[in-house]
Amino acid sequence: MRGKFLAAGIYIALGVVAQGFWTPADAKISLEKCTLCHGKPEFRKILVDGKIRDLFATEDSLKGSVHEKKTCVDCHFDVSEIPHRQRPKRVTCTHCHYKGNAEGAPESDAYLEYFGSVHGKAIAKGNTKAPLCQDCHGSHAIFKVKDPGSDVSRLSVAETCGRCHIEIYAQYKTSIHGVAVSRGIAEAPACTGCHGEHKIYAPKDPKSTVYATHVAEQCSTCHASVLIMSKFGIEAEQVATYKNSFHGVASSFGSRTVANCASCHGIHDIRPPEDPLSLVNPGNVPTTCGKCHPGANPNFALGKMHVDSHDKESGIIYYTALFFKYLTIGTMLALIAHIFLDMYGRTRRLRGE
Amino acid sequence: MERMSFLFRLQHMLLMVSLFVLAGTGFALMYHENWLAAAVIRLEGGVMYRGIIHRCAAVFLMAQLVYHAFYMLFSREGKRELKEVWLTRKDFDEFLQAMRFNLGMGDEYPRFGKYGYKEKFQYWGATTGVFLISVTGFILWAENFSMRFLPKFILDLTLIIHGYQGLLIFVVLLFWHLYIVHLHPSVFPMNPAWLTGKVDVEWLKEEHPAEYEKLKGEGVI
Repeated sequence: MRGKFLAAGIYIALGVVAQGFWTPADAKISLEKCTLCHGKPEFRKILVDGKIRDLFATEDSLKGSVHEKKTCVDCHFDVSEIPHRQRPKRVTCTHCHYKGNAEGAPESDAYLEYFGSVHGKAIAKGNTKAPLCQDCHGSHAIFKVKDPGSDVSRLSVAETCGRCHIEIYAQYKTSIHGVAVSRGIAEAPACTGCHGEHKIYAPKDPKSTVYATHVAEQCSTCHASVLIMSKFGIEAEQVATYKNSFHGVASSFGSRTVANCASCHGIHDIRPPEDPLSLVNPGNVPTTCGKCHPGANPNFALGKMHVDSHDKESGIIYYTALFFKYLTIGTMLALIAHIFLDMYGRTRRLRGE
Repeated sequence: MERMSFLFRLQHMLLMVSLFVLAGTGFALMYHENWLAAAVIRLEGGVMYRGIIHRCAAVFLMAQLVYHAFYMLFSREGKRELKEVWLTRKDFDEFLQAMRFNLGMGDEYPRFGKYGYKEKFQYWGATTGVFLISVTGFILWAENFSMRFLPKFILDLTLIIHGYQGLLIFVVLLFWHLYIVHLHPSVFPMNPAWLTGKVDVEWLKEEHPAEYEKLKGEGVI
């Protein structure tokens, strides 16, 4: 009897120990179970439309990524039987990525911004082509934004967006901003620089950073900064001169039809004015202005575009403004002087009578 | 003693209204960065309606100018007034004479007729100003048409000139009115002629003695 009790005791004790120590081994087994099939390079599925879905994944897939210490079922938690009776669902990142999570994921509410964005809303409407987190951030090879290998790093984000927005990507790639980014200029904007990261809205949405009345403000975040612009020999006054122009004033009071920066300079195809393909190249100015001003001719290109009447470089405009300023001041002084003289004369006149 | 007939008072009133509307809409745009100007633009219904109001008032003002020119040239009253207000060598002499007297270098202050150099300066200054600002205003209004013939920098220049012309007209009218019909001790606080059309005979005798004597000779007074 005693021996039986002892055996039972050891058995229970071993079980407790096993529970404590063998869990990692269990996970390891789980990974091995997955790679049994998914580890074969030829493991793929041919879909109805002829496309091939690559299902290859090994224990190296997560190596070096932010999820290095995670295992398959940490994300693919709906997988419970092998072979899968149902196709495993797409991974839901918000399972861990929310503020106050216990998994040690970065504390961020970025997903809330995503749900309100044009992409999040498209997903909610059932558009299967709209991107989820993993479509931009990568599925297994997820790195931090600062990491150049990341799909959403400054250098690669345009290409990532371009996977879907291919025509825009082609325009952007040869634009002054695209060229600057590919040359590694840190200040140049990629897609997210203007459109935002998670809270991207359609340009027609008043919430968008590139909504007609927000464009000037968005461009001026960099273009009004002398610190940034002086590095590239670009004038930072362009913002102020725009704001003082008919276009700028109308825009600041809410006109959506008036020209903003992008109306003249282009949107994704912005090029320096010296470039013959640039919309603001003197040769193209009549066409560009002609979008709004019917019958625009080469006269539209005669003279500086961003004029500041307080700047000596504006030439005749500066001197005319200066002339009128002193004419007005002079007239006022003459009038006041005349008033005083006349009053003085009047007292003399009254005294004389 | 009547100094301004009903028709002239009406013209004066309409002129005043349209000039105030033009100044209110024009300066709001010129100084759009100022909070008060921004508030005025919003009051006027935004930049688009501000522009429409400004151009309506401008057309109204120019119509008044044309009407006034016809009235002065062809009506019996207008012809008489035009003769009175016409600039002559005498006005310049009177101006110098007044200046000499005021500076203590002359013994006699000029004896003005119905309109002295002060009134004439106001009248011709405003008329010329309104005519010139209409020209620049038309160029800016028909910007697409103007730019068929004029390069862009001329339009920029026109815009600057138009704004400063307005400021100059406004400042001259404001200061000169403040002086000759409000703060001048003989009329303070206001010369009532623009409302009632009438002025005091004593005032006329003191400030426009030549006119007073002429009217007395005609037996009007």
